[in-house]
Amino acid sequence: MEEELNKDQKNSRRQFLKKGLIAGAGVAIGSGLLAAYVDTNAAETGEKVKVLTTDGEIMEVDRGLLKLPRVSREESHKGIPGRKFVMVIDLGKCKNARKCVEACQKGHHLPQSQEFMKVYLLQDSEKTAPYWFPKPCFHCDNPLCVSVCPVGATYKRSDGIVLIDNERCIGCKFCMTGCPYSTRVFAWKHYPEFDEDKEPYSPEASSPGKEGTVSKCDFCPDLIRVGKIPYCASACPMGVIYFGDVDEDTVTNGTETYQFSKLIHDRAGYRYLETLGTRPCVYYLPPVDRQFEVDRGFGDLEESVKDRYKDTPYSKKNKP
Amino acid sequence: MAIQPLNSFAEEKTDSAAAPAESRMALNYLCSTDSVNLSATLTIKRGDMTLALENAVVEFTASNGTTTTILGTAKTNQEGSALLSFPSALLPTDKDGMVSYMAKFTGNDKYPAAEATSSAKPAKIRLFFSIEDSLRILKVTATQKNEKGEDVAIPKETVLIYIPRLFSLLKIGEISLDETGTGTLEFPKEIVGDTLGNLVVIAKIEEHDKFGFVQGKNVINWGVHKQYYKAEVPSRELWTPIAPLWMIITLLVMLAGVWAHYMYAVYELVMIKRLSKKDKPLF
Amino acid sequence: MELQQKNPLRDFAPQLERTSIQGYVWIVFLLAVIGLGFYAFLQQVFLGHEVTGMRDNVVWGVYIVNFIFFMGVSYAGALISGTLHLFKTAWRKPIIRMAEFITIIALLIGPCFILLCIGRLDKLHYLVLFGRIQSPITWDVIAITTDIFGCFIFLYLSLLRDLATLRDYELLQLPNWRKKLYKVLALGYTGTPEQQQRLNRATDIMAAMVISIAIIVYSVLAWIFSVTLQPGWHSTIFGPYFVIAAVYSGSAVLIVCMWVFRKVYHLEEYITKKHFVAVGLIMLVLAAFFGYFTFSDYLTKWYGSEKNDELLIQLLFKEFYWPFIISNYIGVLLPLLVVGIAKFRTISNITITSVVVIIALWLNRYIIVVPTLESPYLPIQDARPEWLNYSATWVEWSLTAAGVAIFCLLFTIASKFITIVPLSGSQGEEKKEDVLV
Repeated sequence: MEEELNKDQKNSRRQFLKKGLIAGAGVAIGSGLLAAYVDTNAAETGEKVKVLTTDGEIMEVDRGLLKLPRVSREESHKGIPGRKFVMVIDLGKCKNARKCVEACQKGHHLPQSQEFMKVYLLQDSEKTAPYWFPKPCFHCDNPLCVSVCPVGATYKRSDGIVLIDNERCIGCKFCMTGCPYSTRVFAWKHYPEFDEDKEPYSPEASSPGKEGTVSKCDFCPDLIRVGKIPYCASACPMGVIYFGDVDEDTVTNGTETYQFSKLIHDRAGYRYLETLGTRPCVYYLPPVDRQFEVDRGFGDLEESVKDRYKDTPYSKKNKP
Repeated sequence: MAIQPLNSFAEEKTDSAAAPAESRMALNYLCSTDSVNLSATLTIKRGDMTLALENAVVEFTASNGTTTTILGTAKTNQEGSALLSFPSALLPTDKDGMVSYMAKFTGNDKYPAAEATSSAKPAKIRLFFSIEDSLRILKVTATQKNEKGEDVAIPKETVLIYIPRLFSLLKIGEISLDETGTGTLEFPKEIVGDTLGNLVVIAKIEEHDKFGFVQGKNVINWGVHKQYYKAEVPSRELWTPIAPLWMIITLLVMLAGVWAHYMYAVYELVMIKRLSKKDKPLF
Repeated sequence: MELQQKNPLRDFAPQLERTSIQGYVWIVFLLAVIGLGFYAFLQQVFLGHEVTGMRDNVVWGVYIVNFIFFMGVSYAGALISGTLHLFKTAWRKPIIRMAEFITIIALLIGPCFILLCIGRLDKLHYLVLFGRIQSPITWDVIAITTDIFGCFIFLYLSLLRDLATLRDYELLQLPNWRKKLYKVLALGYTGTPEQQQRLNRATDIMAAMVISIAIIVYSVLAWIFSVTLQPGWHSTIFGPYFVIAAVYSGSAVLIVCMWVFRKVYHLEEYITKKHFVAVGLIMLVLAAFFGYFTFSDYLTKWYGSEKNDELLIQLLFKEFYWPFIISNYIGVLLPLLVVGIAKFRTISNITITSVVVIIALWLNRYIIVVPTLESPYLPIQDARPEWLNYSATWVEWSLTAAGVAIFCLLFTIASKFITIVPLSGSQGEEKKEDVLV
């Protein structure tokens, strides 16, 4: 039975890939499609997992029905052959809608207090413009976090993705002080959200989380394997986040696709804190030609989120 | 093959189980050089929830108003999509050359039936590559069949040129066809191909009232050779699994030096112990 | 030959033979503090690290501060005892054993604090199984292990003569198992010329080893901070700075130990003002060095005023004002004044200064660790106060207190096992002139 299920899984993966190819060939398969589906053949295990639809809704799906590929821990060290992933974030379009954060948290079964993607309100100096700054992991090419890890629990793969294996992680938190971008989060206790995910653990999914270990943004390799861009990129209503293969020189936010080198050239893309020498794989497009006023970013926020920004120079200046 | 009895969780176990299931079908059509590709997406809407239905059998038919041809059946995948490809030469056409397609899910005791239709006239796009005055030129022609079955030009249409990439299609240009259904584009430089520089180029007419989605495809080695990111190459970096050599040597030298001295001290202690045994007869 | 040394042993015999009621009360008190710490530890194990004040920004708190502190104290013991031994300083005799005990006891406690910081103690063996040589934590694991072995060997070598003396002193009223233990540990040492020669040679070598390893251990500890890019940590001076700060704090701990044992075991005859002044002078020199390093570290940060360094220094002068003043002003100037001016040099003055220095140096580590983590490159934007600012919880304080209590307890037990003042010295040293005093 299990074998059959596996076969089924393989089949559907093949179908997935095929579908990807055909999509590549131009069938306009609705972009509003779902990460969850009903398998009319699948055996029910009776256990529920929360999954996310791309329109941002959570639904409960039987565990046996959720099938993003989860590679083994050993496999997760290798990386997707012939690829090197890159992210481009267009600061001119971000209005702190926080859909990226929410989609990421749901996709990775994270509690509210853990954010792989964080949105900052930055202002480089007093007279420069404030802007919203979504910050994933930069998946640096010279990753200090990986260098300092005493047990090899965090590693950089051939496709440039830096992952954490929480089965290996001893929770010394050295990587958290090693990262100059405050990217990593620690599980200070066992969060109930970890239990929602009943699939076997894979570093590629960064889920289920584990108390006393470090985790962070993983560029969603499990989604990449089925031809999808990360949760944050597809969830963003503004299309702020572009993702792609830098060797293919292409990035996409799901609706628009650009030549990476041209985009960076034309829009003067840059990497944050380049001087630190970490060589990030995330590029930013400067916040020019804004589509939204910075204030729009406070729009529909919960109070607790709004409060985060109350001590920023911008907020202090505007609300005396 | 009959659809398996649907023992879906949605029936009994979710909060919105009370809401009646509503099946929805969407049909997408794409005409490529010699075939039509149909993709039907089947979703189940129940209350506010939308789910894709997997493993449902969808039957595709084509009709010209009088005769209906069964093109075949396909099962939906994880995303609820059933895909079918059919040679365009065998399609029944009406007097205007139009074909009506239908995708149909017959339904079962848990999910109601659903169907979707779409109609379009088969068309063809061809891509030709040439080098003129050391410029790389992409030429595109679009044709349709007239009543006699001859290929005639599709004039004054806009064709979009794409390169398929990992996650999406990268648009590299647009061509406006002239009266003869022909148009050219200077092929951009610095488009990355595969390691040999090969590029798949796709030309498409999109969302046309009459032709729907039409695409042609060709391969050319005008791409920049792809350089693979060589993360495997640096094997002894700070961040690689294996440490730089100098680090290992330094560590070993230091450890050997220190522990050798420890050994010496312990050896002296052992000797002190031995001496006491030797001394014993004297006392 | 050892006859003249049986006199002192008679004085020390009561210390080894029985424990006073106050002694028992003291031990019970220590056990209670340790028990509280154990309860706190269980809380942390079962409820997760959330019971501590640490959060995602300040991932290391009081535990790491204690780790650095105890390791520093340990190092001081090693350096002071090692140097005094190598230079054959005559006055070292009454205090050298204390220094050695400080070394080994602090060295056993220090690493426990870093363990408290580790999220998954069940996977601790991975440090050995999967150790990566590039990580400063691996360096630390190797260095501390090496240091512990070295210090044990050194301590043992220096105890050997006394163990033999205790074995041979038949009037000692001790249970048989302890007498047997002395006999086994004394290795049949009888003080023959060859045994002495071998013992001296081994001790000299280990003294040199202990000094150099301690330097390495403490530098490695500093590098854990300075290899990162964090503002305030990313400093080339950190290695030597930590080493100096370590010896400095250790010399102060030694003075406090001297005072305590002098009072408790009535060693006024052995530990005199001369010793306090001598160690005090060492502390004075170290205070000057420490001040110099501190000044030069902050001067360059302030003068260059890179944005994040500037923010850090602002933070130090605002939210960490008093810790900063106590550790970097009072902690430097007080010993210079008290020990530096001859008329202030009394035993109690020097001891009080030492207590202040210990507090100052603990705070010094605190303001190295915490403010940096509170001012990362990307500003902390969080609505939760505990994520913005670190403040240690009762769990962390209890475990800190337990650490100090274990230190005291082990010291008490050690002083019951062997005399706190060495009974015998190496040959010929007493003839040397006392250089410092």
